[in-house]
Amino acid sequence: MKRSFARRFALAASAGMLLSVWGFPVLWALLTSFKTERDVLAYPPKIVFEPTLAAYRDVLFGASSIVPNLVSSIVLSLGATFLTLLVAVPAGYALARLELPAKRASGFYVLATQMLPPVGLIIPYYLVLQKVGLLDTYVGLIVIYLTFSLPFAIWLLVSYFEDIPREMEEAALLDRAGRFRTLWYVILPQVRGGIAVTTVFIFLNAWNEFLFAVVLGGNRVRPVTVAMFNFISVEQTRWASLAAGAMIAMGPVMLLGLIAQKHIVKGLTVGAVKGGGRR
Amino acid sequence: MSRGGSVSLRNIVKRHGSLTVLKGVDLDIRPGEFFALLGPSGSGKTTTLRILAGLESHDAGNVILDGRDVTGSEPGERDVAMVFQSYALYPHMSVYENIAFPLRMVKTPNSEIDRAVRESASRVKIAHLLERRPGQLSGGQQQRCALARAIVRKPRLFLLDEPLSNLDAKLRLETRVELRKLQRALDVTAVYVTHDQEEAMTIADRLAVFMEGNIVQVGTPDEVFRRPVSIEVATFLGNPPMNLIPARLAGREVAIDGHRLQLEIDYGVEREVLLGVQPSRIDVGAEGIPAQVDLVEHLGDSVIVDLELGTTRVRAKLPERTRLSEGANVHLRFDASDVHLFDPQTGQRVTA
Repeated sequence: MKRSFARRFALAASAGMLLSVWGFPVLWALLTSFKTERDVLAYPPKIVFEPTLAAYRDVLFGASSIVPNLVSSIVLSLGATFLTLLVAVPAGYALARLELPAKRASGFYVLATQMLPPVGLIIPYYLVLQKVGLLDTYVGLIVIYLTFSLPFAIWLLVSYFEDIPREMEEAALLDRAGRFRTLWYVILPQVRGGIAVTTVFIFLNAWNEFLFAVVLGGNRVRPVTVAMFNFISVEQTRWASLAAGAMIAMGPVMLLGLIAQKHIVKGLTVGAVKGGGRR
Repeated sequence: MSRGGSVSLRNIVKRHGSLTVLKGVDLDIRPGEFFALLGPSGSGKTTTLRILAGLESHDAGNVILDGRDVTGSEPGERDVAMVFQSYALYPHMSVYENIAFPLRMVKTPNSEIDRAVRESASRVKIAHLLERRPGQLSGGQQQRCALARAIVRKPRLFLLDEPLSNLDAKLRLETRVELRKLQRALDVTAVYVTHDQEEAMTIADRLAVFMEGNIVQVGTPDEVFRRPVSIEVATFLGNPPMNLIPARLAGREVAIDGHRLQLEIDYGVEREVLLGVQPSRIDVGAEGIPAQVDLVEHLGDSVIVDLELGTTRVRAKLPERTRLSEGANVHLRFDASDVHLFDPQTGQRVTA
């Protein structure tokens, strides 16, 4: 009894430490977002202060409102995620089930795309988009995002599809479901968790993406990640507004994580052919 | 129920790379028969079943169901239902929906679905579990769910791929009987794959013994057990399997270690044979071929005795009252009618 308590305490303590290391900047930013610009610059730093929503008002309704940027982020992220899933789900299924010679090589290629330093691609991508006239457009930037998200999503989804025993499809085929209905009624519900995980990954990556957005975007396409820099200028940095903007930018991502979490857990426990969960 | 469900396989060949898995399988199954495909692992019985179902392609030969050549047909077009070894239940659907699925796929009206699902579920005694998910069922219940899903659309052919192998021994015995009764009640042709020869012997009307991609013998369990056509078949069946003792055959006599036994027919020229005798047909007593007791296993309702006969190991199955000590010198006797003779070179049964 004593031993397990000490062990649990140690685990909790180390978890708490890790959490505080990660959580502190976020927490500090949260506090900052409710301060006046003066309070922000106070030294020693103020933990107790009079909170105000001025920063949030500035960020949402002020001259440099980030609302259009939020819209931009949403369009980019949703677009990239939707198109990725549209292609990756059938592709993942096909790769998982068909004995294609490309299959073994594809894993390597996927990893290769993930290992490429994005910085090295900026100039080639810029030149390509310029030639095609897609600079500073949603289409252009989403296509660029797809070059990273598609291989990764397919790679993730293939492993989820492979987890489903082939007998599942065979049973459905014998039940006269045909290929498409088998995929829709039998297979997809079982990879729900996998699709949720993939969706979160793709969306997150697209939402947080900065480098390509800042180089390949412009006045029309400017997501929140880029817009944050509006608050940093030569004369001053508007810390409170910056913090408020960051908080708002984090919002959708956290929400997505919470919603997807349920599906991810469900997807992991529905299980395979026998004893779903009871092993 | 119409008497459909006749199955014919004509010269089915299947290759897997350089390996020939099925070397020309020919089979005829009559409507309403409970037919077992028996053989050791890798002998081709499951592959044959899957080819019947349309789940696997084959390189040569024809599959004929009810007179129609279905060789190129999709599994869904064959009116065949299958129970997989792993059951393959849809884990995200309730038991009700699992059973209803095949009917929904052919757009059966809901009222009819409800009636059919409940009827099938009651037949296999899971009517009280309809709202549960497969993950919440025990192994035996899952198996019944798979059964219900298979019978709900009254197929003409019912395929079972070692459906009992994942159940514990007692449940296996009980379910065996129920399966048999179910098949009789539905009057549907059933093809059953198993490596358990005891299972095949008790459950099947007829069976086919598979060895290395070939069917080596077809017949009723009685026929196959009493007249195995080769050493392979003889030593695969029976628990413990048939004993093989080197002997010398000449005319009407067969001699083991000098001890002669008179046979019913004249086999002609003298030759070396392997004499086969079932463990249950051996008598241990005061007269006969000398042997030494090596090991005695008490099984509760019988006793298995391992004996050394010259250089050959022989196993006898004796009544449970038998009292023998290890190391004892005994004598073995058996009837001429229980003797099987095999050619040591070809492995085939010796004919006169």
